[in-house]
Amino acid sequence: MSKKSASVWTSIPFWRRSAAWVTGTATVLLIWLTFDTMGQIAMGSDADLEKGIKHRIPAASVINYHIDYVMDEKRGHEVPVIGEKEPFFGKEWSNQEAADLLHLGKLASQAKNCMNCHTLLGNGAYYAPDLTKAWLDTKWNDGTMTGITGKETKEEAMAEFLMHPSRYPTHARMMPNLGITKKEAVALVAFLKHMSSIDTNGFPRNFSQSAKRLEGGTHAH
Amino acid sequence: MWEACTDLACGNLFAWLNQGPLTLTIFLHTVIVIPMFFIYFQEKKRLEQGE
Repeated sequence: MSKKSASVWTSIPFWRRSAAWVTGTATVLLIWLTFDTMGQIAMGSDADLEKGIKHRIPAASVINYHIDYVMDEKRGHEVPVIGEKEPFFGKEWSNQEAADLLHLGKLASQAKNCMNCHTLLGNGAYYAPDLTKAWLDTKWNDGTMTGITGKETKEEAMAEFLMHPSRYPTHARMMPNLGITKKEAVALVAFLKHMSSIDTNGFPRNFSQSAKRLEGGTHAH
Repeated sequence: MWEACTDLACGNLFAWLNQGPLTLTIFLHTVIVIPMFFIYFQEKKRLEQGE
């Protein structure tokens, strides 16, 4: 059979098959990625926390544990490390209580529109400090904020600051008083503590160094 | 470009694909473009044979 001279580039079946292949492959990959992501972002369980099984997002009851932030040489950034149990607002919260508290904290963060100035997990603004790892900010640990607020513990100091931010001007840009109630403040602190335990692959980058460098003011100078 | 996976979930294909700026691009070009060569030559053969 003699060969005909024909251009594939003007062949409609060629373009139809190519388009079907590209669209089909992309669809399969995106559906696969969606289900994979759902698995990755699923919250761990209380039992996993007890057994020390790592999840990117730990159970709500992680608020009952000490959370540290340490440099992981292999991964090249800092990672949250869940340590020993420590009381949160003087007690241990059951998984259900902790979940309810986090839910209230999330609603409060939305109602008060924290993201209007702050960033949470990459979403929001950079007018005020990034809150993704706020719980781990050394200022709450080294006695600075407990001293200023006159509170015994870090969580109480945070709650006090949230309720009366204008009394404790810590940055050149002062946080406004948002009328946060005591219950909301406790929930927001729980929300921040849980968020700090999420493995964000090192986001925000160089948190500890930035916190030190921006001491006494964030981006206001 | 090819470095050890440092993600939390390293047994995962998407974790490997996200290791560098080029890995995902190269992967997608491989899985999409190489089969398109096959489609091209198959169509060319079909046209040449006048089917």
